[in-house]
Formats: sequence, C-alpha cells, structure tokens
Amino acid sequence: MPTCKECKRFFPLEEDPGKGDCVQRVIDPRQAYYQAKPVSADKDAVKCPSFEKK
Amino acid sequence: MAVRAETLKELEEKQEWWWAAEKKRSSRLDYLRKAMWKKGAIGGLYPAGLYIDLERPVLQTEKARELEFSPDPYVIKFAKILAHVLDNKTIFITDHSQLVGYLGSQPHTITWDPTLAALLNHEVVNDPTSIPEPMDESLKTITDVANYWAGKSDLDKILPHMDLDDAMKVLSGAIGWGVPLSRGGYSGKDYEYIMSGVRAFEDVIAELDRKIEEADAKAHEPGASKEISDLYDKMNMWEAMKITLEAGIRHGKRYARLARIIAENFETDPDRKEELLQISEVCERIPAKPPRTLQESLQYDLFIQLFSRNEAIEGAWPSRPDYYHGPYYEKDVTIDKALTEEEALDLVGEFLIRAAEVSQYKVRWAREGLQGIEGTWVWTLGGVKKDGSDACNAMTIALLKAARLVRVANPTFAFRWHPKVSDEVMRECFECIRQGLGYPSMRNDPILIANAMNWHGHPIEEARTWVHQACMSPSPCTKHGFQPMRMANATANCAKIMEYVFTRGYDNVVNMQIGAETPPAETLTTYEQVFDAWVTQMKTIFSILVRPVNRARILAPKMTPRPYLSAVSERSVDSGLDVCDPSISRGNAWITAFTWVENADSLAAIKKLVFDEKKYTMAQLKEALANNWEGREEMRLDFVKNAPKWGNDDDYIDSIMLDCLREAAKFSRELKCPSGNNWPILPENVSGNIHYANIVGALPNGRRLGDALYDGGISPGPGLDKKGPTAVLKSCSKIDHISDGRAFLLNTRLSPTQLAGEKGYQLWKTYMKTWADLGIDHVQFNCVSDETLRSAQRDPEKYQEVIVRVAGYSAHFVDISRKTQDNIIQRTVQGLG
Repeated sequence: MPTCKECKRFFPLEEDPGKGDCVQRVIDPRQAYYQAKPVSADKDAVKCPSFEKK
Repeated sequence: MAVRAETLKELEEKQEWWWAAEKKRSSRLDYLRKAMWKKGAIGGLYPAGLYIDLERPVLQTEKARELEFSPDPYVIKFAKILAHVLDNKTIFITDHSQLVGYLGSQPHTITWDPTLAALLNHEVVNDPTSIPEPMDESLKTITDVANYWAGKSDLDKILPHMDLDDAMKVLSGAIGWGVPLSRGGYSGKDYEYIMSGVRAFEDVIAELDRKIEEADAKAHEPGASKEISDLYDKMNMWEAMKITLEAGIRHGKRYARLARIIAENFETDPDRKEELLQISEVCERIPAKPPRTLQESLQYDLFIQLFSRNEAIEGAWPSRPDYYHGPYYEKDVTIDKALTEEEALDLVGEFLIRAAEVSQYKVRWAREGLQGIEGTWVWTLGGVKKDGSDACNAMTIALLKAARLVRVANPTFAFRWHPKVSDEVMRECFECIRQGLGYPSMRNDPILIANAMNWHGHPIEEARTWVHQACMSPSPCTKHGFQPMRMANATANCAKIMEYVFTRGYDNVVNMQIGAETPPAETLTTYEQVFDAWVTQMKTIFSILVRPVNRARILAPKMTPRPYLSAVSERSVDSGLDVCDPSISRGNAWITAFTWVENADSLAAIKKLVFDEKKYTMAQLKEALANNWEGREEMRLDFVKNAPKWGNDDDYIDSIMLDCLREAAKFSRELKCPSGNNWPILPENVSGNIHYANIVGALPNGRRLGDALYDGGISPGPGLDKKGPTAVLKSCSKIDHISDGRAFLLNTRLSPTQLAGEKGYQLWKTYMKTWADLGIDHVQFNCVSDETLRSAQRDPEKYQEVIVRVAGYSAHFVDISRKTQDNIIQRTVQGLG
C-alpha cells in the first residue's frame, strides 16, 4: 500500500519526519501556483490521483 | 484580455485608462493583476468560478469537536481552533509573486466561517451557486458543519442575552443592516503598537510571558481579593493571545518552507529561484521579528490583516499604509537604493492586489449592500503626524501611482487633505481621480481631527493618527482610541423615520410595529407637530439599533472573545482583558445614517405644499403614500418638482436639514456606548440606496416604493441639484462638519473632458480650495462619462475594467446591478469653472 512518504511530492519536516507537506503545482484558469498541504508521512495514498513514486 | 494595438499616448488621449495601465505596468504586475480572482458579489451572487472553501470550516469543526470536553476555558479553546487552522490549511505561492498569504486554500475560494452565525450557515447550505463539486459530497460536509455550529455560533449564543424585541426589529432588515457581533463588522487595529516597527510577535510573546509570570506569582501570594480572582481570567486571556501569536509565527514559517521547497526542487529560472529564497528569508523572520525592508513591512502588514480575518469576518480594512510603510520605502529606495522605484512599485502594486483578493462569505444583505466588492477596504493616505507636520512621504506617491497601474476597485484610498500637502501629492491624487478610479476620496483633516476631539474626546495627538474605520468614519490607531469592532447593525435606514411618521411606526413591508406610535398623520395640524413626530421616530429607531450593539460589546469579552486582535493591541496585552472590553476603550461609536437626505426633502415638501401653500392635506398625503402614489401622479410630480430640494443653496430646505441633523446630534449625546462615549451619526450609504429600494415605502419627496433612494450621505438627490457645484458646496457648508455629526459623505460627478490637461487640474484645485475653505469634511468624485458608462452597459465584456465610485467605495461598473449603474448615470455631472 503506497503512503505519502513514498511520493515525489512529499517533503518531510526536518524536526518531525512523520509529518510533511504535499507540494503540488496547480494551474487554474487565471494563474499558476505551488500549493502545500500538511499530511502525515504514513497516510494511505492508494486513492491519491497525484501520487508519483519517488 | 488582449493587449490593445494603440500606443500608450493614443489610449491616454482617448482616456481609456484601463488599457493604458496595462501597457504601463511591469510584466510581473500585469501577470498578478490578471491572475487575480475578483471576489465581489454581482447582484448578490458570487461570480462564476468562485467556490466556498470547505477546508477551513472542516478544520474548525474537527478541532472544536476534539476540544468539546477539554477543561480549557472557552477563550483558549477558541485560540486553539484558530491555531489549528493556521497550522493545517493549504497554503500556496503564486508565480511571480513576492508577497504571500491568503485566507482560503486556493486563489478562487471564498472562506466561510461557520462559528459566527447560524443564519449565515443557512445561506451557505442554500447557495447552490458557490458550492464546490461534487455537490452531494460538499453538501454533506456543509450540512455536517452547519449542524455542529447550530446553537454554538456567536450569534446563537448572544441573542438570548439581548432584548429579543430589539433583536427581532434589527433582524427584520427594515431599519438596520448587520448583526451585533464582535467578530463581524469593522475591526480597527492598534497600529501605533504593532506597526510602529519597534516590536513584532516575539516581543509581544515575551511581554505576555512576563505578564503571566507576574500574575501567577501574585495569585499565589497569601491573601484573597477580587483582583486576585480576576488574575485567573487574565492569565487565560494572555495564554490565548500567546497561542494565536505563536500560530502566526509558525504560519509564516510554513510559507518560508514552501518557498524554499519550490526554489530547491521545482524552479528552473535562476532569477525566480532567488526571489523565492528571498520570500523564504522574509517569512522566516516575519511576523516573529520587526520588519527591516519594504518587502518585510508589507508582508508583516498582510499577515496581521489575514490573521485577524481568520478570527473574524471583517467588512472593512482600516489602514494607513503610507504612514507605516513609508519609512521602509524611504530606506530601501531613497537611502540604501536597495530597490529601484520600479521594483518598489511592483511590491506596492502587489500589496494592493493581495488585499483585493481577500474574501469572506457574507450574508446576502451584505453582498447586496456592497455590490461588486468584498468589503470597504478604504485605506487612509496623507494627513498629519502626531506633531501636526505633513505625514505625506514617497510611499504616499508610490501607492497612488501603483493604484493607477493595477486599477483594483478594492482597496480604495481616502486622502487626508490639509493645508501643508504639497502640489506634487495633490497632482497624484488628481491623476487617480481624473483616470476614473473614483478614489482617493478627499477628507478635510483639520476638520476631522477637531471632530474626533469634539465627539469622542480623543486627545489631539491621538486624533491625528486617525484612519477610516470603514468607508468614512475616523478612528484613531492608539491604545485607548482605536475601536476593535464597529458592529454594522448600528446602520440606520433613515428613510424609515419619515415613513413611520405616516404609519405610526408600523412597518408595512415587514408587517411589524417597529417605530413609535406617534399621533396619526392626519391629526398633525402644524409643520412643528410633523417634525416632533419625526424626532420621536428618529430617537426610537436609533435606540433600537444602538441597544444591541451596547449589549454585544458588554457580552463580547466573555462570550465572543478576540484573542488574536487582543494580542496585537497594547491595551489588552497590558490589562489581560479582551480587546472589546469597554473599560479599556475610550469609545469611538457612530451610527451610519443611510438614506438620510430623503428626510429633509420630504419634510420640506410637507412644509411647503401642505402647511405653507395648503395645496394638500396631511390626510391626502397619507392616503397617497399608503397607495404608493397610485392614481396620484399629478400630486406626486408636484412633490417632486415644486418642493425645494437639498443641494441648491436654498435656505428654506437647508434649514430643515440643519434642524434634522441638530436634533440627531443632540440625541447622539444622550445615547452612550458602554465606554460612556457618544453615538454621533454619519450620513453615508454604500449601495444601501439600491438594497433598500424595495424595503422603504413611498415618501413625501415623491419617491415610490421600489424606486432607488438617493445615493447618500449629504449628496443631493440625483438630478435634483440644479444650481451647479458651488450651490451644492454652499448647502453642504451650512452644516457644521465638526459638531453636527461624525462625517458627511458627498458624491460629485465631474466631466472627464473638463478635467483634461493642466487646465483640468487647475479647475479641480480651485474647486478643492472652495471645498476646504467652506469646511466640508468629505468629497469624492466620479469622473467617467455617460457615454463610456452607457457603452459599458451595452457591451460589458469590453469594459470590464471601468471603475466607478458607488458611495464610500469604488467598484468595477460591470459588477454592480443595473439599478445602481443607472443611479450613477443619473447623478448630475457638475461643470466646474
């Protein structure tokens, strides 16, 4: 079962590698940006459409 | 939006300023301006493509559930919920940006705070236009959140402690506008404490630690007293403040980390990589430590504002950006030359854009009353320093220039004019007006400083720090002078005063007895008796609106505390009391008087046609009004055309206006806020004149139910000021702008053709000199031709960027209702010279 920590987009916190940010590139009709959403390293990523193995 | 082929010069000659701006601004500003999602509601609905952000309400609700059975006092639970949001919300950094921070999880989202009022949550549930897909899943989430907060929201908690009779009358929507909540309205800020550059969040936290330590020691000394007992509440409050500030620092560091991750892992352009590392450095420091540069100062301000809007729905943005950011601009651009003027303009322009994007879901009446904008972000420029010297600086000019480049409708500026303002700065103000922004509005600083001292007893040094707390009202930025929350429901729909004289206080629109049961109109045999009934209705309506606000201010510290706003306010850090506690505030309340001039025009018509000329009886007039003038068109036109109208330098009606204002002013000193200070009135309208069109019945000035009301303040009725701009100013100057009320909005339309070139500037300057000499406190200008506005109505796609002054705010013309558009076109274009 893949977890967030195995994903290219997961960036762990130095002080607590069990947590981190899922960083993604988003392009909406007006602008492009990078977003970061806090996630836990062991979160189940089975259903994540953005999952990309490191 | 395609770039126009014409040259800049051609576009400027054609006065197509919005296209010219596109050519003049940097590629960065152009990208960021076009990247912006406009959030203002159109016709009461949010524009297509915007969605309610469900992340934040889910975070709030999950944390509230977790804390439900914790022993923490409410204020600490509330602070922890706020911290949970700041720690866990999705953040983003837009390409080319140098400043970061937004309320929602994505740029096109509108944030919803479910902790405020069940009635707001019901609107979200029933607003299919803004619910994100997949709809079923979103509705399930929204319903779960709304159900959780039912009975727990601020308004639900506070209402049972109020006079329910008053509350029902306010919530009927007939006479007031808004709710009495400390987390919904217009929050002033103690900028002298938190923006002076000498302290930032870490310094305040250190001070809070000292306070807690001292209090804890004192609480455990031998002895017992109320003072010691109160210390426990204070320690909880200080602890809650600390939680919010620490969360703010962590939030800043989240952006620092994201910027670094992008720079190190994704970005390939070396210049942008450097910018991202710069953002990272800024956010490692800000808001923990005081800013050192313009970028840090703007970022600091932005965080302060966003955190406050994470705590409350703030419908305004009181601010003085040139005064507080000016020293950093001077240092970076003039002294250190670390930034070129163009680079600084990029930052300043982006600061305006970042503010323009801010959005919080509001109830429909608020959206209708603020058409096209998210709130009244009226930023204050110019004015004097505490010692009375000119406060204008290079940042004042940069802000005015940046406004012309990015042309956002919100924030707008209001300029504190005084005799020492340089010609260079006046020309910059004029250029914004001439280029059709509708701002800055011009404020008479000496008059308004005297007014603040007169009405609220602010000492002169504090009065000189004033900013616009909303569209119009001055409020100092000092420890005891600033007002933490102006609750919007003290907004009187004043045309009801006149209406109720004829209905004995019964409101036929909402079917409710709201006003006083004054004698039947047909029994009033003299004008003086009519005026007495008017005074009684005025006092009744004002009292109904003020009592809930007073009550809410007293209840707020315990029931609806603001730990974050308290943490950035010296009086709360010092005292351990919530920022809304009336005992630590001098008081700066006011009643916004919507739809005011209708009263003077109506009373003048009654006096002339009923009592002087005896053409009609009061019984006939009452019957005509009850039937909405139907079958009485000839009589109605008599009341429109043959009665004196305000704004024509006619003492007959101008004296009636003064009688009304002075009765209100007298009563304002009897009405007291919980701090013991006065409740002066402030005539202005936002777009309430359209919102109330179907709520105010027929009036003796000839208006029918459904007709737009006047555009407000002390502006004459559209098209009724027949004698030119000087006559308008002369009428307005009969009002004592220091003692007859807190401020008076005046709309003026000028011809763009007449304002062209140097001659145009000189004409305007002469007009402004007359205005200043006459002691009028406010004037704002629309300078867009009828031709352009009618073209924009016909072909809105081509005129997306045309801005107009609606009332105390500006909006893109295409974003306001057809009725408001028509109302603006109907306003008289005043010829100068």
